[in-house]
Amino acid sequence: MLVSEIPRGGIEGTLRAMEGRWPVQVALERSAYLEAAEVVCQARDLPALCEWLCSELHYTFATLVVLEEERGWLLRYVFYGGVERSLLSLLVRIPYWENSVPSIASLVHAADWHEREAEDLFGLVFEGHPKLGDFVLHEEWPDGVNPMLRGFDGSKPYPHRELDPDWRPDRIVQSPGAFVMPIGPVYSDHAESAHFLLETVGEDVIRTIPRFFYKYRGVEKIAQGRRVEDVLLLAERFSGTSAFAHSLAFCQAVERLSGLQVPERARMLRIALCELERFRHHVHAVAEICSSTGLGVATSQASILEEELLRLSCMVSGHRYLFGLNVPGGLTVDLTERKLTLLQNGIREILKRFLDLEDMLRFSSSFLDRLEEVGIVSPHDARAYGLVGPVARASGIERDLRKVLPYSGYERVEFRVPCELEGDSYARLRVLFREAEQSAQIVEDVLSSLPQGPISNTGPTPTAGSALGWVEAPRGAAFHWVCLEEDGVVARYRLTTPSFTNWHGFHLAAENFAFQDFPIIMASFGLSNAESDR
Amino acid sequence: MSWTGHLLSAFFALCLSGTIAAGLLSGRRGPMALSLTGFLSSALLLVISGNVLLRGTTLEVWLWELPLAGRLLVRMDVLSSLFMFVTGMVFMPVSIFSAGYLRKYLGRYSLKTFGCLYHLLFASIVLVLVAGDVVFFLLAWEGMSIICYLLVNYEYREEQNIRSGFLMLSMGEAGTLAIALGLIIVAKASGGLDFASLKVGSQALSAHARWAVFILTFLGFGVKAGLVPVSSWLPKAHPAAPGNVSALLSGAILNLGVYGIIRVDWELLGMTDPAHGLVVLLVGSLSALLGILYATIRNDMKRMLAHSSIENMGIVTAGLGAAFVFGSSGLIPQAGIALLASLYHMVNHSVYKSLLFLGAASLDSRLGIRDMDRMGGLARGMPWTSLFFLVGVLSISALPPFNGFVSEWLTLQGLLRIALLDSTAVKIVFALCGAGLALTAGLAVTCFVKAFAMSFLGVARSEEAREAREVPASMRWAMALLAVCCLGLGVLPTHVIPVLDRPVAQLVGASTVNALVPPFFTVEKGDPEWDEAFLSEFHDLGAEVGRGLIPGRGLVVLHRGTERNPVVFAMSSSYSLAMLVLLLGSAFLSVWFFTRSRKVVRRPAWDGGVRRLTSEMTYTATGFSNPVRVIFEAVFQPSKVQSARETVAEHFRTAIMTGPAEETHLLDRSVYGPMMRLSQKVAQGLARMHTGSVNAYAAYVLVSLVGLLVVWLLI
Amino acid sequence: MSKWVLKGLRTGIVTTRYPGSMETSPGVSPGRPVSTVLRGQRGLPEIPSCPTGALVQRAGKTTVDHKRCIHCRRCVRASTPFVEWEWGYEWAEWTSTDPKEMEGLGPSFSRSLHIRFVDAGACGACMSEVAQLTKPHYNLHRLGFFFTPSPREADVLLVAGPGTDHMRRALEKVYDSMPTPKKVVAVGTCSLSGGLFGPSFASEAGVTGIVPVSVGVPGCPPPPLAILHGLLVVVGRRPATSLTDATNQMRGDSQ
Repeated sequence: MLVSEIPRGGIEGTLRAMEGRWPVQVALERSAYLEAAEVVCQARDLPALCEWLCSELHYTFATLVVLEEERGWLLRYVFYGGVERSLLSLLVRIPYWENSVPSIASLVHAADWHEREAEDLFGLVFEGHPKLGDFVLHEEWPDGVNPMLRGFDGSKPYPHRELDPDWRPDRIVQSPGAFVMPIGPVYSDHAESAHFLLETVGEDVIRTIPRFFYKYRGVEKIAQGRRVEDVLLLAERFSGTSAFAHSLAFCQAVERLSGLQVPERARMLRIALCELERFRHHVHAVAEICSSTGLGVATSQASILEEELLRLSCMVSGHRYLFGLNVPGGLTVDLTERKLTLLQNGIREILKRFLDLEDMLRFSSSFLDRLEEVGIVSPHDARAYGLVGPVARASGIERDLRKVLPYSGYERVEFRVPCELEGDSYARLRVLFREAEQSAQIVEDVLSSLPQGPISNTGPTPTAGSALGWVEAPRGAAFHWVCLEEDGVVARYRLTTPSFTNWHGFHLAAENFAFQDFPIIMASFGLSNAESDR
Repeated sequence: MSWTGHLLSAFFALCLSGTIAAGLLSGRRGPMALSLTGFLSSALLLVISGNVLLRGTTLEVWLWELPLAGRLLVRMDVLSSLFMFVTGMVFMPVSIFSAGYLRKYLGRYSLKTFGCLYHLLFASIVLVLVAGDVVFFLLAWEGMSIICYLLVNYEYREEQNIRSGFLMLSMGEAGTLAIALGLIIVAKASGGLDFASLKVGSQALSAHARWAVFILTFLGFGVKAGLVPVSSWLPKAHPAAPGNVSALLSGAILNLGVYGIIRVDWELLGMTDPAHGLVVLLVGSLSALLGILYATIRNDMKRMLAHSSIENMGIVTAGLGAAFVFGSSGLIPQAGIALLASLYHMVNHSVYKSLLFLGAASLDSRLGIRDMDRMGGLARGMPWTSLFFLVGVLSISALPPFNGFVSEWLTLQGLLRIALLDSTAVKIVFALCGAGLALTAGLAVTCFVKAFAMSFLGVARSEEAREAREVPASMRWAMALLAVCCLGLGVLPTHVIPVLDRPVAQLVGASTVNALVPPFFTVEKGDPEWDEAFLSEFHDLGAEVGRGLIPGRGLVVLHRGTERNPVVFAMSSSYSLAMLVLLLGSAFLSVWFFTRSRKVVRRPAWDGGVRRLTSEMTYTATGFSNPVRVIFEAVFQPSKVQSARETVAEHFRTAIMTGPAEETHLLDRSVYGPMMRLSQKVAQGLARMHTGSVNAYAAYVLVSLVGLLVVWLLI
Repeated sequence: MSKWVLKGLRTGIVTTRYPGSMETSPGVSPGRPVSTVLRGQRGLPEIPSCPTGALVQRAGKTTVDHKRCIHCRRCVRASTPFVEWEWGYEWAEWTSTDPKEMEGLGPSFSRSLHIRFVDAGACGACMSEVAQLTKPHYNLHRLGFFFTPSPREADVLLVAGPGTDHMRRALEKVYDSMPTPKKVVAVGTCSLSGGLFGPSFASEAGVTGIVPVSVGVPGCPPPPLAILHGLLVVVGRRPATSLTDATNQMRGDSQ
């Protein structure tokens, strides 16, 4: 099943059906390109509602935003995709003294990690969740200390409970002779810090228990109380390899909040730069896959292309990773004709060499042996875990935010979303190649028909309120929820990144395969811990 | 009677007094007395057998005449004295070990019984070895089997032990019956019952009869030696037996099977048919391979060592088989080499297997557990035990400078002389068996690395392992003695080979010393026996250097392709020992000298930055041997594993519980299983006769009577 | 099989010649602001605040604290630019002024160096730049530098990231496990001053408080050539910036 079915009646029909079955208050906001519905419901109806949305109407869970209000909590569950170009948020208000809300993790498994993070950082209890605790905050943090609460001072280091606390891995496999093989947090030549505990009886990995958040920098907490310009820098730099995408999502949220219209030239250039970043990420991912299987020449070939893309980005924009380009209202600098020609020719030439590499890889049987039928994520599991990005598209889930919730002019750009069904590493590799090809095509199309005009619009200071910004980052769907106060200061900034969503489903691929396949499966996912841990 | 005879009687008297003393003394003094008398009797035995071995004189004493059985003969030649020497070499450290080990049975089981049985076992083994005629031999054999069974079944209160002991007894009895039948067939064709007349009589047997005798006696003695397919009792008997008895079982009693094969199949029957040798070779190689395969995947240390005994006995038998084939094809020197290698391996096996079993017994007595999955990190608490166990492990893995290397090397060399044989089929069999033995050697290294590393190194995986302390002095001294023997047999093979050559010369008819240990380093230049050019080439290589200082001969496997151009590898082994000591010593000294100004800083092991490396994060024994289990799955065929997955909610798996894989041994699947099913079917078929009606039974009686009459009339 | 060999041979050599000769290809460095002396301009408006406080204006001169600069370019894109932009990449500097420290690891390591890289919370950009070092364009193997997975064999600890709370213990363990002589090279602005993220409850103000840093390579992210420069400085094959910057400053003063 590749495309989700769209129910009749659009979002209005959905809302009416909802009103008929549960005591809810609905509000629908329509704009030219989006229908956003907010539904206030009771906590006890939450599980049933979520299950109905996800299993019958095929909505996808996007994010869970927890807001601390004066008298309690406001939880916002955001869904999208059931009806095209629509967002549906379920709002639940919990008074302080109640402090608990029913868990939807067993019905909507994609919400599992969101609930665990909220429990660790806010102290909320999600009833019925079987595995709370030891997620974001590791064992040095005492119980009952929740950094995201307003009363917690996030600007100073927090003295811990004990220097060397006792901690044992939470064993799942009970088999005679089973043991746990630890990987990390410092491992390999140069890899991001993350900890994996592989339960095994000797050859095959039976279960993977990952421990993340070694790189937790508390971006959401740091952002509170800062001005929009500074939070823009945070949004850009918390994950350097997808900087442009995340800064674009943040800018779109602020633009939506203040009603800023972005000029056409800026929108098209944003598309071109977004696709440039996607192309570079996919070349990097292919280089990583070749490196993990030990195919040296292919790794070098792909890395040469990646470095050329980095240099091209620097020549065009002044920074190798496209930092400092997005600003609410447009871009900070305009690109001259010379630079645009450089970009077009450069991408065309690099794409040609990239596709040559693909041809050679397709006929290297020793390389394909390590990828085919290894690290399989079934379509059913991918849907249940709500996976996004190339990983999901390799398992039959065609959802792409550029098509489902088009932004920044993508509705006028022609492109295909590649999709494979096997869900193994080779399928993910093929999706990467096809997407890269599409990205290069998009850049070509956009730059050849680029309109003239201003590069940014400055508007009034954004007013208080909250809005959601989203982007299809190179690794998948990213959602930024921004809540501003009166004087343009950020009150709450919620980041949901594609790596966070996809690391949740990583264990599905790594289980029941040998140790030697583990790094290859990890490389085929192409995820980033910096993006996930924030 | 000569001195030897007198000393032999003294030995038996000592054993008897040991038995009586054990029966009288009680409590703590029992083990002390046992170890003292055991030590003395084994020392005496070593003297006796050493004397006969070195001097080469045979002892023959005719004893009383029994009705129906003829005169009993006591005969001790170099072959039996070799085996007696090995027995003494094993009994001595085990006796010392028992002083400390038997304390764990105080108050639980009767130590008097143990003491009596111990000495009786010693005496009965020696009786088997000095038996000179059939009746004596069978009586002694039977007595030895029964006493062995009683000792193995010492901890009789465990249900499992009773069953294992019973299996051992029944298979042993079946073997004895087969031996008796075979010997009777030969005895029918000969004049008297002593072995000499049997030897003469066997030449008159037809080819079919020879085959029958061969199969019966080979399988019968194979039961005792632990050869496939009759070795199923061994892996069950060893865990059941007390620790020191296990050492005796593997070190002394398994050898009796080999003794029987050599005595009856080689000496009595004579080497005429190469096919006999091929059967022995194939059975040996198969035992070796199967034994080590099962040893590698076992986590119970004693069971693993039992399977390894099967493997080593297989190697000994394979060497014997090769010697048979060479001998019956007329290639006498090669037969001698193969036979010598096989005997050397038997001696080595006795020494290092006893060492390993004593080590396992030490662990058992201190920890109470035998499962290697739950041990770990014992080297810290038991440094001496781990050192001696390490020596045993290195020896059994055939690593120089220990003894296992010498005998495995020689065995493989002996098997590789395929070019000299005629028939292609025989050559192919030899090649396959050689490859099988090489695979065995590799697997043995895996198995024993696992045994040592998972038990002694790493992190303790259970409470018992964490609190392990060193064993008492008597146990340590016993293991030290055996470890020194391992080292000695490994670095001084050139002194051992001339000793082993004596029984080989008796059996093969020619001395093989010069093929293996040519006296390059001791012979003068003008010696008439050796080619001048040959010698001088060697002397130019420096064979004369240090001749006055360092004694000893060089160890060589000499391939005499042509007289002109032999291929020679030689180094005086005493030389190599001296060089080894010198090089290692100077290396240590220079390292110390150049780094004495540097500071040594100790840090915990690098663990990837995890907060704490817990014991569940280290490899277990099961995990270590898993690759072997997976690769040889066709042999093991583990049954489908019961795996229960507890799920709290969909996608939230909280437990995956996998039961242990149940396996039936390959022999049980392919040999015993079908046999049992067949006999059950036959029994079921026959059970249909039991209808219960009297008329039917009367009819049976009538029919059988009529049938008998008819048959009697016809004949 | 041979097709890969031929492919590699056909591609030829793309490796930079640095440090043999300076790399001049465009796009190898984002550049950074340099301390400028402003002449003949009076009544300058207040400089807009640098988001990380890297710019300080004093007595007609704008000083840049490179340890804090994150190349956001707001200073250079302001309506009246008051810094100059330099496009070099030799940015490494010694963190102490002790001449004995500044000798580096010594000649025996200058062509055979083993590096253990630890990620103490870096965003992907610094990690990507470090990864480019092993790739054909930069290829640090030709200089005798190697990444090693075991700190027991490492001479230099390369750290990136602001020093998150959860990685503190692991970083200390890595440093402890390295045998002497050892040096620490901190890569990126985050590791030298915390950048945008520190100090906070979740990260420190850089890793200087956790391990003793010898050489710092500022930048956000420092290009691979700057990281190479930092490694060459720590083995004494190239001089550090602080010396060349002083020369530049003297030249600026005398103009």
